[in-house]
Amino acid sequence: MDKKNQDIWVGMAHKNNDPALIEAAGKEFVELPIIEALGDEKIAEVETNRRDFLKYLGFGLGAATVAASCDVPVKRAIPYVTKPDEIVPGVATYYASSFVKGGDYCSVLVKTREGRPIKIEGNVLSPLTNGGTSARAQASVLELYDVNRNKMSGSIGENGAITGMSWTDLDKAVMAKLNAGSKIRIVTNTVLSPTTKKVFADFQAKYPNAKVVTYDPISSSAILEANEQSFGDRILPDYHFDKADTIISFGADFLGTWISPIEYATAYAKGRKINAKRPKMSRHIQIESGMSLTGSNADNRVLIKPSEMGAAIATLYSAMGGSVSAPKLNAKASKAMNKLATQLRGSRGKSIVVSSSNNVQEQIMVNKINEMLGNLGTTVTFTHGSLQRQGIDKDIQNLITEMQGGGVDAVLVMDANPAFDLPNSDKFITAFAKVPLKVSLSYDINETMALCDYIAPTHHYLESWGDAEPKRGHYSIVQPTIKPLFPTRQAEASLLTWAGSANYKADAEQPYYDYLRNNWNNTLFGSQSNYASFRSFWDETLHDGVAKAGAPAREYTSCAASVNGGQISQPSNSEMEIDFQESVNMGAGQYANNPWLMEMPDPVTRTSWGNYLGVPVKFDGAHTFEGYKGIGSNMVKGYADVVNLTQTGAEESTPITAFPQFGQPEGTVATSLGYGRKVCGDAGRNIGTNMFPYLSIDQNGNTQYYATNVEVSDIVDINYDFPCVQYHHTLGVTAQNEDGETINADEAALVDFTYGVVDQGFQGSLTERSVIYTTNIKDLSENIDKIEKKREEAQHLNAQTLYPGHEYLYENGHHWGMYVDLNACTGCSACTVACMAENNVPVVGAKEVSRHHEMTWLRIDRYFYGDAENPNTAYQPMMCQHCDNAPCENVCPVAATNHSSEGLNQMAYNRCVGTRYCANNCPYKVRRFNWMDYTTADIFPANQLDLNEESVPYGADNLTRMVLNPDVTVRSRGVIEKCSFCVQRIQEGKLTAKREMRKLRDQDVKTACQTACPTGAIVFGDMNNKKGALNKALDNNPLAYIALEEINVQSSVRYTAVVNNRDESLDA
Amino acid sequence: MKHLFSFLFILFAFSLSAQDVNLDEGKALFRNNCASCHNKSMKDDMTGPALGGVEERWESQELLYAWIRNSQAVIATGDPYAVGLYNEWNKSVMTAFPNLTDGEIASVLGYIDGVYKGTYGGTVAGAAGGAAMDDADDSKESGLSTPFFIVLFLILGILAVALARIISNLNRMAQIKEGATPSQVATIKDILTSKGVIGFVVFVAVIIGGFATVNNAISLGRQQGYAPDQPIKFSHALHAGQQQINCQYCHDGARRSKHSVIPATNTCMNCHKAIKKGSEHGTAELSKIYASIGYDPTTDKYIEDYDEMSNEEIKPIFVKYAKETFLKDKASEPRYANSESKLERDASKEAEEQWENIEKSLMNPSKESVSGAIEWVRIHNLPDHVYFNHAQHVTVGKLACQTCHGPVEKMEVVQQYAPLSMGWCINCHRQTEVQFASNEYYDQYETYHKELKAGKRENVTVEDIGGLECQKCHY
Repeated sequence: MDKKNQDIWVGMAHKNNDPALIEAAGKEFVELPIIEALGDEKIAEVETNRRDFLKYLGFGLGAATVAASCDVPVKRAIPYVTKPDEIVPGVATYYASSFVKGGDYCSVLVKTREGRPIKIEGNVLSPLTNGGTSARAQASVLELYDVNRNKMSGSIGENGAITGMSWTDLDKAVMAKLNAGSKIRIVTNTVLSPTTKKVFADFQAKYPNAKVVTYDPISSSAILEANEQSFGDRILPDYHFDKADTIISFGADFLGTWISPIEYATAYAKGRKINAKRPKMSRHIQIESGMSLTGSNADNRVLIKPSEMGAAIATLYSAMGGSVSAPKLNAKASKAMNKLATQLRGSRGKSIVVSSSNNVQEQIMVNKINEMLGNLGTTVTFTHGSLQRQGIDKDIQNLITEMQGGGVDAVLVMDANPAFDLPNSDKFITAFAKVPLKVSLSYDINETMALCDYIAPTHHYLESWGDAEPKRGHYSIVQPTIKPLFPTRQAEASLLTWAGSANYKADAEQPYYDYLRNNWNNTLFGSQSNYASFRSFWDETLHDGVAKAGAPAREYTSCAASVNGGQISQPSNSEMEIDFQESVNMGAGQYANNPWLMEMPDPVTRTSWGNYLGVPVKFDGAHTFEGYKGIGSNMVKGYADVVNLTQTGAEESTPITAFPQFGQPEGTVATSLGYGRKVCGDAGRNIGTNMFPYLSIDQNGNTQYYATNVEVSDIVDINYDFPCVQYHHTLGVTAQNEDGETINADEAALVDFTYGVVDQGFQGSLTERSVIYTTNIKDLSENIDKIEKKREEAQHLNAQTLYPGHEYLYENGHHWGMYVDLNACTGCSACTVACMAENNVPVVGAKEVSRHHEMTWLRIDRYFYGDAENPNTAYQPMMCQHCDNAPCENVCPVAATNHSSEGLNQMAYNRCVGTRYCANNCPYKVRRFNWMDYTTADIFPANQLDLNEESVPYGADNLTRMVLNPDVTVRSRGVIEKCSFCVQRIQEGKLTAKREMRKLRDQDVKTACQTACPTGAIVFGDMNNKKGALNKALDNNPLAYIALEEINVQSSVRYTAVVNNRDESLDA
Repeated sequence: MKHLFSFLFILFAFSLSAQDVNLDEGKALFRNNCASCHNKSMKDDMTGPALGGVEERWESQELLYAWIRNSQAVIATGDPYAVGLYNEWNKSVMTAFPNLTDGEIASVLGYIDGVYKGTYGGTVAGAAGGAAMDDADDSKESGLSTPFFIVLFLILGILAVALARIISNLNRMAQIKEGATPSQVATIKDILTSKGVIGFVVFVAVIIGGFATVNNAISLGRQQGYAPDQPIKFSHALHAGQQQINCQYCHDGARRSKHSVIPATNTCMNCHKAIKKGSEHGTAELSKIYASIGYDPTTDKYIEDYDEMSNEEIKPIFVKYAKETFLKDKASEPRYANSESKLERDASKEAEEQWENIEKSLMNPSKESVSGAIEWVRIHNLPDHVYFNHAQHVTVGKLACQTCHGPVEKMEVVQQYAPLSMGWCINCHRQTEVQFASNEYYDQYETYHKELKAGKRENVTVEDIGGLECQKCHY
């Protein structure tokens, strides 16, 4: 496996120069017979002859004439009766709120139009998230309009069927079964809200035997326990990745999923952005098995088996001088740990060691290492310790025992799903059945809810009042942005009602609002000093969304605990181990019913709609994966092998699709958790495989997220609908032909294949494509020269332009452009979901994705480079590049795509006739064709094909359509669409400036992807604004380049060369 | 003779007010001030009477000039002609133009007479200072030219047939002379059924048919002139015209939003809490506002829990109000002088009718009571894929509402004035100048500013700053 394709590759077939990939890449847009392209076997059976065709044609003409000659239907314009002051129809209103789901937190601004929330933006006032968002936060608005959410209170029958009950009846029924002595257990995931905790206290005042059981499906239980032993404080530290020169992470996916990824990514990016004049960046070493998002961003990955995690931490600890006998670690990793120990001694107080291990002793060692390095109090602090994971695994295990023994009278489940996301959920289910009263306070349908007696459905966070304390002293408000869509009730309100609390005035207009406000008045107001009156404190907090209130400062610089070496996890001898990861999209399964997140490809594996088994590239078992099925055969679909995954000794095995994953150590496989929900809304039901039963529990009761002794069988089946976008829309693919010459594989180079007359070096057949530039920081100046030379060559080739008249226009007024700092981009995919939300991009479903039909306007291409065994990764957000010499424009027969004087490549949907010439001619492959009527926007229902075996496609029902952005056209079948640089935002920003009679400022126009990005990797602006942020980022930036500059399309997007800080000596 | 007369008249007009009469100025003044009510043919009535011969109709010039400046003042003097005219035209008030000078009025009258007598735009008008040949609406010109072309066409047709005949005869003679057997003389029928003629006819038919189809197809779905009945007989002529309420008082979105916004019922209540009886419809129409928002006009209070009341519960409130108002207003009328029972009967009947009308106007199948929003019939409909922003045009472009919506202040029932077609938008964008100098935003267009300064460019139109590009309106 040597480096043939420049030095980047997207996957196995690319790396191996697979002839089928080369052919497929060359003919990605090849014209298939329409029936095959649509893939509807039912249509294929229908024989259509000329007479039928004429009949339909005649009918169509006649129908159109009749339809058109009728009067235009009467439309109504319905004004308000009493217009609310803050609403101007047609103008968006923003409210500060907080996205909170379990421990996941993001301070947000909710964009509402005519009273309906349609988009989530980051809140720049938040000191935690700094205006950044995550894919989950971006997608959360869709959950509000979930057709499958729990819509009415009632009792739950045998098969999970709900019999509606009024709230009064439900309250009576529940309270009748409770008495002051009842042993009630409230089961919940992490609760960030101090007021909810006050509610628990009020509830316990009425029912003194009530207890709250908090657990997290993917927990940080061991850190909490280790910190209790180390510092006497059961809290998560406040990590400062921006202050660390050396970042060492033992499996912690802090950029993707671990504790507070938005906050960490913001800080991390500060140390990764490169100033070419003073090149300096942090070094990030990730010790892990399966490649996580964070691991993919690391400079070095030290490969271990999942069971070796304890050994790895212990090896580092003992190498640093800690007294522990480290279990045996693989030789390479062991060497790396020893080298690391030497290096770390040199950067005292400027390093950070984190671990996601759920073993208490291992976490104590991490604390000890940080103590030795002087990190406690500098990069690892506790003044604002994080509260974002509070669950203790033991507690839920104890509850199971307690329920099994019949000692529990009632269980109230608050949005948690222990019947799905516990390693021993089968035990939970049997024990749960013995509880006399089980009430679900759940927003969505889930496995646990189906086992309960009553359902007390709760509001979405966009319908609720609430608060959050994600970190000590940092408070945040949740305020409703829409009246509850269904007769639901906040969980807190239900608890207070059942407790009959005197603090809760149920007949008030907004009882829980009053309760919340009172609680703030009684507690937080007193602990802050910025406001003299509660009213001003409260109003400012509501406006800002966040507040700081004094919490007693607690700081720890020494770790009191000692390490018990006997409890460190021991490496296993088994031949195969499996690593389970929390995926960016699914979490532990609580996001399963969100089609936006389902369709968003996993950043690392590039798979969507399910979890799949990542096997090492050298795996000798099943590993055929192709992103296409040969062009000669009848489908352009991805396919991969299906294998059986078995735990040694177990009778049942799980069939799962396997695909080769770079950077996966030998003897291990990996997959993600959270899929395989059985009781769930339509989008998430039976998608993927549930991996929770494979998890184990250690001697402290903590869940372990790996399994040893697993077997992966030979190929048992082939998955022909594998929705992996790895090989979709590839660009700059080069390969070697039979004669060993490097050739272009994509269709831009077909001239060379077909005619053989075009000279090597002419644009179309250029083989050295500038897609991604990579360099190690120590070779930076050398590579800067190379980039410069390459760009000069390209510009020399580009002396001509197709539209000479346009320069004149571009210099005048605006010329929009974008800059993407690939060193700041972590691949987190918040931008892709933000783009879907902003631009009404449809969800197409697994089957369509597998056929290259995904509609995303912004994709994140992932490239590997460097060492094939243990590669580095580069992420490249790829959207329409708005070329000034756009190749798509001059092939359009109807001028549906053309250029604006502001440098925008415009798309007029109503003019498009769907020839797809433009998509064929786009070198960046960013144009998307609406193969189906995904949105049911078509006039004739006959054109709405049966998508995804659903009667109505995702998002086409009237409830979900409420999320649509009214300023963006919903495209119908048969047209091409693509990124518009958020032209609706450009126009809005221009109008604001015009109305205020001033020049346009940078903050007037920000694209959806830009505002979503937690690391500030995307800068959008006017290239003619010499003082603007865009020119500031590009000026004298020798790392900036234009992708495929040599083909003279003169695109308006600039990227940065990827710089890594890999330490080669750790690889030895 | 006629020309001579006009000529004399214009000379006379000149002598009347020296060099002040300028027919082109008169035309401009007419278009700006008079054309919205008076027909520009000068021969037909419109909102106001046909103006042809107006000077002959008035007793004295002074009186006419006074009438034009302020008709109500003339009526107040009791002049019989003025009062008669006022009554004849249903007491609709002519807009006052107090600022017009004598010269300007003379110009307008001169233009009116010129058009009426057919002299304006012809040779004499040219002589009367500044040729104005660009008047496309000039009915005289098109009236003359069409028959002229028909006649020309017929003559040429006959000529063609005659020539064809001559050629055919000459050919025949030549053939006879050369000794060949002469071919049959083609009859008219032969000619008409020949391939050439049929082909030509078919060709012409296809061209004309195609042209007509395309033209008609383009206008499909367009609703220019659409003036549906509304649930409330709201008169813009009264509110915007007579009462001079600013458009943006009610349509308050126009300056800051894409929508101009149909006013909420509570906006109506700002005035109609006090004005409870309409000049035209009495309580009939205003009660609909109260029924929508839940206001009891008898007690002058908003009704508690109105949206939970059924129609049966609501009905008595408005029936009572309508009846009481009727009784109060009509009691003094002579026809009810001696018949209280008739008054009572008529009042009940009227009240009942009004209630039925309220129900009809405010109910729809999905509503349970008359409470709730008034569902107006939407007149201006743009397709969903068109983005139009009122603020851009009203606040930034400083356009008057009437530019697109027409003389709404004169409309009893609002109608769609403009075609709202893409061609119409584009045309305006081509012609309209941007408020370039006064708005700092446009400082970014440095090249244009330089060109303007250097005199290379006269103005900057919307087109020049990209106003014709697709994604200015479609995204």
